[in-house]
Amino acid sequence: MALSVIARLEPGSRAAKRGMSDLAIRNLFIIPTITFLIVFNIFPLLYSLGYSFTDFRASTNAPAKFVGLDNYKFLLNDEFIWRNFTITAKYVIISVTGQVIVGFGMAMLLNRDIPLKGLITTLLMLPMMLSMAVVGLFWKLLYDPSFGIINYGLGLGKFEWLADPDVALYAVALTDIWMWSPFVMLLSLAGLSAVPKHLYEAAEIDRAGSFYTFTRITLPLVAPILMIAIIFRTMEAFKTFDMAYILSSQPTTELIAIRLYKMAFLEWQTGQSSAFAYIVLIMVVAITNIYVKYLNKVKER
Amino acid sequence: MAQIELKNVQKFFGPVQVIKDMDLTINDGEFVVMLGQSGCGKTTTLRAIAGLETVTSGEIFIDGVAVHEKKAADRDIAFVFQSFSLYPHMNVYENIAFPLRAVGMSNAERDKAVKEVAEILQITALLDRRPSALAGGDMQRVAIGRALVRRPKALLMDEPIGALDAKLREEMRSEIKRLHISRGSTSVYVTHDQIEAMSLADRIVIMHDGLLQQIGAPDEVYLKPANLFVAEFVGSPVMNVADVVLAASGGQIQVRLGHGDAGFHFPAGLTNHLKETGADIALGIRPEAVSLQHDAKDGYIPVETTNIEPLGSHDIVDIKLGDISLRARTESGFVSGEGQQVWVNIDPAQAHFFDRSSGLALRGQS
Repeated sequence: MALSVIARLEPGSRAAKRGMSDLAIRNLFIIPTITFLIVFNIFPLLYSLGYSFTDFRASTNAPAKFVGLDNYKFLLNDEFIWRNFTITAKYVIISVTGQVIVGFGMAMLLNRDIPLKGLITTLLMLPMMLSMAVVGLFWKLLYDPSFGIINYGLGLGKFEWLADPDVALYAVALTDIWMWSPFVMLLSLAGLSAVPKHLYEAAEIDRAGSFYTFTRITLPLVAPILMIAIIFRTMEAFKTFDMAYILSSQPTTELIAIRLYKMAFLEWQTGQSSAFAYIVLIMVVAITNIYVKYLNKVKER
Repeated sequence: MAQIELKNVQKFFGPVQVIKDMDLTINDGEFVVMLGQSGCGKTTTLRAIAGLETVTSGEIFIDGVAVHEKKAADRDIAFVFQSFSLYPHMNVYENIAFPLRAVGMSNAERDKAVKEVAEILQITALLDRRPSALAGGDMQRVAIGRALVRRPKALLMDEPIGALDAKLREEMRSEIKRLHISRGSTSVYVTHDQIEAMSLADRIVIMHDGLLQQIGAPDEVYLKPANLFVAEFVGSPVMNVADVVLAASGGQIQVRLGHGDAGFHFPAGLTNHLKETGADIALGIRPEAVSLQHDAKDGYIPVETTNIEPLGSHDIVDIKLGDISLRARTESGFVSGEGQQVWVNIDPAQAHFFDRSSGLALRGQS
């Protein structure tokens, strides 16, 4: 069955002349990918699962000692770890909500006939093409209390965006919103342009106002693709590391990814951090699953 | 219920004029069908009445109120789309209730109205289904239900049954007619199907190239076409049209077709008005007015059959007369095959004459 799906080689092609069969070609493409996945993804995944039950420290030569579920027990009972989770949850909610509002708003603005639409769309997409670390670095400059352009522009004087423990997390989220709103915009734009025009005409005939049309026609029809954007952004926001790490080192901005990094590579608690990573993994999978369930429900119609 | 009036309406899409000098009054409670080929401007006219399309110039009145500047929502008109345009994420009940919810009608009233319309259209059993789970005819019923539920001033339909199969079309046609009679709503219906037009309309509006060709009751349009376009567009099979020469012969006039010497005899009274025109004249004759005989008879011309279309209830027989071909309607099995000798005559009372250059019908005083 699998073989019949694969197209036969052209009898006169170069590959055929070199004596390669369909099967050989298939293997040539698939085996490197599979090997790569096993070596760099599957193996570390399983290996770290093993470490998560030990007190292994990569910085010493001491042999790893099996400690059972002790690492998990310790982490789940540690109130500082829970604070990291709370901070992360707050960050994810602010950042993803912001991105959806800004991104969807931009998509609504762009979903009409305007001059230079293509150029504007491309320019708006620039932020998400940059490296996270680079964005972190120059937003640090923008936020700078003494010469940052944000304080200058808003006339805030020497406002400490990143040093103020109450504001720093919002400042990091704002940077993330700036960077990733275009992503939501792009997907929303695809969703909006897929809504058939005649439905809007029908709604107009049915005397629906613009707000009613938006909530009852536009939003439900864009929901599936918007949901995909939200899933992607939630997963990404959950594991935010580089940008936040560069921007601020406040305890109030210590996201789980930063805590995990510190635990693994500054404190060298390899076993414990493996357990931590697994807790995070399970949480992300669980949250994503909620979204996917909802997405499937929406897609049913 | 309302009267709709179009006054000197013009519509341009860029340099292309799709509606030209449209003057039309649709009376209260009337069922008007706009008939024409695709691209003739009939749908654009309908959309202009609904407010989905702006007009370049001219005025549209509904019940004497100028509406051409108003938005569709403010015209209180319902529209049934060719593509049905049901809301895919709502079930049938929500679809029909949508226009009522949009204007904030109370729950109880809304429920009653929806149930009532569903009852009339016999879709009560489908109320909690989604449009994607409906058959074509039911989708159309829902679309009509959504249009009727708020008792609009007028109901506009854009080829509402064009997407259905032949049998269902016939069924829905009579259903639409029944609904119109029971509700008495002013209806404007666009179609390219003349059978639909003939069977539904109180009056037919025939359009071509953005221009009104003729407005009239179905039988009027059929029996007295105003010009060559209407004559050839209405009726199936199409009317025979041929250039003719008139020649006097005794007390009668001989109408010669196909550049031959043979001609049909017309009483002088029927052709008197043709003498003064001096233009090239075309004769239009419907197949049912062409009679065939097996034997020679006075006034009949011998011809040969070239093609037979047996249609069950009757046959359409093509005959060759000089260098033109005429189609005649005969009882089924009248002619057994091609290449047979038959005698042909036409009924002068059912003949139409047209001015070749202007296309206009030439009629006597009678």
